[in-house]
Amino acid sequence: MLTFLALAAVAFLGTVPQQSQSIVIYTGWERHALVGSDVRLSCSFFSWRWTSDDVTFSWTFRPDGSRDSISIFHYTGGAAYLDNKGPFRDRVEFVGNPARRDGSIVLKNLDFNDNGTFTCDAKNPPDIVGRPSSVRLLVFENVPIQAGVITGAIIGVVLGLLVLIVVIYYLMRFLVARRVFNLSVSKHGKKKKEGSQQRQGPAASAEPAKASSDKKKQESRKDKK
Amino acid sequence: MLILLAGIFVLHIIGIIMLLVATIDNAWWETDMISTDVWFRWIKMSNGLWNQTDLPTTHTYPQEYLQAVQASSVLACIFSIISILVFLAQLFTLTKGKRFTLSGIFQLLAALSIMIAAAIYTDRFHLKENNGWYGHCYILAWISFSITFISSIIYFVLRKKTA
Repeated sequence: MLTFLALAAVAFLGTVPQQSQSIVIYTGWERHALVGSDVRLSCSFFSWRWTSDDVTFSWTFRPDGSRDSISIFHYTGGAAYLDNKGPFRDRVEFVGNPARRDGSIVLKNLDFNDNGTFTCDAKNPPDIVGRPSSVRLLVFENVPIQAGVITGAIIGVVLGLLVLIVVIYYLMRFLVARRVFNLSVSKHGKKKKEGSQQRQGPAASAEPAKASSDKKKQESRKDKK
Repeated sequence: MLILLAGIFVLHIIGIIMLLVATIDNAWWETDMISTDVWFRWIKMSNGLWNQTDLPTTHTYPQEYLQAVQASSVLACIFSIISILVFLAQLFTLTKGKRFTLSGIFQLLAALSIMIAAAIYTDRFHLKENNGWYGHCYILAWISFSITFISSIIYFVLRKKTA
């Protein structure tokens, strides 16, 4: 039965029409970085085919306010080719793993001119139909905190303090009650002479406490009105 | 007794609804063209549609006070909702003759928070703008302050009784 299902699944996947298979490329949406620091731009893809040996990765850069793109990285035939003439000369490094479908690069020593859109295009022959994905790079002098973070932090801190106070309150009550309980047990223990009766002592004093709390609950339910 | 209980419950629910509307709806400060609240600003376009924009970040619109208003109005809603849940729990578990202090404390915290939010908003924003008026959410914020305050006083005074 299981083998039949497995064969049916493989047959079904094999007959899926070619148009529905396309490569899907994933990058981040936006990256924030400080001037002078390094940033890693990640790129990976999903494809129904096995990763071929001719897999290629391509990164292009379009500065903010410009309409032209310039190619800054290309990986093909098992070798990575970095920018050696353009704005990213000696500043790009390939840190991806093509066998694992990872085509990430690292940009070093960022500048304000590096603000722009980076597009990753990956191809996994014969699966070549796909849409390149873009990530926007924003270079700041000091990284600003997003607007909602401070508000959320204030709310979180206040609620956290509240939870802490409630927990401490119940802990105090529990410890005090246990102390009182231990004292009453030891008093019971001194009065009874036999050892076996001593063992029954804690159980006997727990029983009336339970019964009285049950009675209280029934009373308060009736007293709701 | 049941009527009193229902009345208190309804008052609390009205307070919660007003707090939620004041926090979420978008009319703290209005002019003919724009409608502002603590989160965004809406601008009326020439074709009659409203366009959402971010609040200005100039020095007349201090960011820290804005975040304080946002945080404390959200906290007021949260405290009020916690208070009604605690009240429902205490209805069943409180021993006879005791007061609903925990619900009262949370409701008082809610009243204080919304008062802080509305007060900061009054004192720090729109100080020099003459061609606008306070919108319905702002008014609801103040009314909900009084309702939650009265509700908390009731919880502090009310005792659990027999029928």
